[in-house]
Amino acid sequence: MNTPLDAPGFPREEVAERARHGVAAIYPDAARYGVSVFGGTVPVAADALDAMRLVPPVFVPRRLEKLIELGREPVHHDVDLRTDIGGFASSLPVYVSAFGSTEVAGRDLGVAVSGQAAACGIPVVIGENVVPVNGYRSVDRAGRSMLRRVHAYLDAVPDGLGGVVVQQSTEDADAEVWNLVYSDPEARALLDSGRLAFELKVGQGAKPGLGGMTLLDSASAAALQGRYTIDEAGADGRRLRHSSPGTFTEEVLRQQIRLMRNNYPRARTWVKLPPARDVLAAFDIAVTAGADAVTVDGAEGGTGWAPKCFLEHVGLPLAECLRRIGEPAARSGCLLVSGRFWEGSRTVKALALGARAVGIGRAALLAAAAHDDGVRNFVRALSAELQLLIAALGKYSPEPLSSEDVWDPSGAPHAPAWDASAYHDGLAEAP
Amino acid sequence: MTQPESNGGGHVLPTPAEHLSSPRTRAVLRVQQRLLAAAREYLVGEQGCMELLPPIIGPVTDPGARGAKQVDIDYYGRTYKLMTSGILYKQAALLGFDRIVNVAPNVRLEPLETASTRRHLAEFHQLDVEIAHASRDEVMDLAEGLLKHVVRAVVDDRAAELELLSRDVAALKEVVNGGFDRRRHADVVAQVRAGGYEQSPDAEIDWHAEASVSEQAVRPFFITDYPKGSRGFYDRESETEPGVLRNFDLIVPEGYGEIASGSEREWDYRRIMTRLRETGENPAKYDWYLDMVRAGIPASAGFGIGVERLTRYLTGVDEVWQASAFPKVPGVFSA
Repeated sequence: MNTPLDAPGFPREEVAERARHGVAAIYPDAARYGVSVFGGTVPVAADALDAMRLVPPVFVPRRLEKLIELGREPVHHDVDLRTDIGGFASSLPVYVSAFGSTEVAGRDLGVAVSGQAAACGIPVVIGENVVPVNGYRSVDRAGRSMLRRVHAYLDAVPDGLGGVVVQQSTEDADAEVWNLVYSDPEARALLDSGRLAFELKVGQGAKPGLGGMTLLDSASAAALQGRYTIDEAGADGRRLRHSSPGTFTEEVLRQQIRLMRNNYPRARTWVKLPPARDVLAAFDIAVTAGADAVTVDGAEGGTGWAPKCFLEHVGLPLAECLRRIGEPAARSGCLLVSGRFWEGSRTVKALALGARAVGIGRAALLAAAAHDDGVRNFVRALSAELQLLIAALGKYSPEPLSSEDVWDPSGAPHAPAWDASAYHDGLAEAP
Repeated sequence: MTQPESNGGGHVLPTPAEHLSSPRTRAVLRVQQRLLAAAREYLVGEQGCMELLPPIIGPVTDPGARGAKQVDIDYYGRTYKLMTSGILYKQAALLGFDRIVNVAPNVRLEPLETASTRRHLAEFHQLDVEIAHASRDEVMDLAEGLLKHVVRAVVDDRAAELELLSRDVAALKEVVNGGFDRRRHADVVAQVRAGGYEQSPDAEIDWHAEASVSEQAVRPFFITDYPKGSRGFYDRESETEPGVLRNFDLIVPEGYGEIASGSEREWDYRRIMTRLRETGENPAKYDWYLDMVRAGIPASAGFGIGVERLTRYLTGVDEVWQASAFPKVPGVFSA
């Protein structure tokens, strides 16, 4: 493997460093110890989430609780990262977000990511269009099928952890992807172990308002003619396959979720939303209709292919999606978020602002491309960072994280009002 | 002789020779023959229905089957489907005849867990009825009259077979001793939940709950007004109660459960297109149907009775595959 993989605008080198060196990569180069001094190197970021800071308190009543429980001073190793993600037990509040039939994921990387994520005990989403474009069984098209990703996952996942989430978009309904998986003997182990979910893809961060896109050679495009919209895509004869974005109203979203729950009672129901201006209304409807998880993919989310104007100018940044949904609403359901996640601080900020877990997409692909054990090393590094950051906030699991742990220089309201009486009762921490 | 290989939870079927030479199977199939003849007497003879031979393949079929996969076939380079139900063609047939009936083969690759419900087949037959301009009450009356006629004919003319099968004929005769109750889905959900069972109010009555309400009944009854998220796009949504469908299931007693589903149908293009999206369908593949609907089809109501399920009820056999000459249990690789 170790295929060079490019990701403009994404911290590829940093991810590759983690893929090669694991936990060692979250610290500066040890050879520079004693000969360099280190400070913040990042200029004020354009990304509002990156611009926020995590703010540990002096007074840490939860650390006192932990101290009493353990009979010694707690340290970062005492942070238990295990959490529930949309009905699946996960070893940390991280899952691998969808990448579909895109060329990059279509190579063996999709299978490698599946197997390594499974070994880490985190859920994996298999993207839309994998079945109609790449096929389902391996005989359909060697090395690309959905079942290979499923088998790679099942072979490596530890008992009691993880899950596989199969996405379906509007065109996927023609291939009946969900029905296919739900009735397939080869996927039965997922159902029987409670490890199967279906994700309704309403939209994605990098191109809200558009459906999925992949570039195809002309022969592949000809085979899909009639099922998808196909455009000319350049001088080299390649074609651009568009999925339709699908038509949603409040009632269409509500009923599609109910139908999923009705038709697949043994599978979990996930919904993926684009960073749309009505993201709160869509989140509420999805939660009320019974979705086990609702993912919001920020405008900074990754993609295999999108028009440049969409990458630069369309959709709400994730920080704004989190602000519009708000912590109380977010915690009324299971909010998952994705978009440029690769390290611990951004992750902890998102968890503090209401997310249950974060999705890694590009980071997982880059890590798999950088090293044979890249995803595992990468996840180890991320886990270590999460433990350090959460312990610093005086907490020992992800659940108690809240907006009090974040300082937002924009001044947009996140934190609840300071309540002195609660503090004096020992029930709250100083903000 | 080799036993069929099983992928469906340890189910083992007899070989075709063992199955067909069994006196029990032969008795069951003779009851089934009488059932079909009686249905034709009633529907064609008394009710003036036109019997049409149904299609087996088409570019699109009923997407409403809960969790079941459709079978694709390569039709001169295009993907066609085996019928999961004839609903789209039933609506089309009303352009030629106002009252239609057909006995239609259906194929549904049901989830493997259905192999243990004793009431699912991957291949089965439906006695399909559709009546133009009919209301739900009218077709429920028709279904009730049909079932009573069939039960009388089988009890009168297949007494020896029922005796061989040890069928409790007194229980069967209850069918003709009174009217069939009509109970709303919400009331059945409330009853089941009061019994401590977690039935979702937004979903189909699940198999466990359905078996329990069936066991408590002495006579067949209808469950009406299912919530929208539980059924296909063609079941008509109430205009006075949004979210509630003008549909019904027919449940038979003694634990045999549902044997028929029916409804008033959507016929308006705009409503059908909206409902297609609410059920997650891609309208592109329904082009012949949508073109037809756009040009105008009659309002209608109808139902489909599972022939093997009705046979199982009439004969009292344990499992629905025993009511088929050549059974296909989900996940079992039989002849």
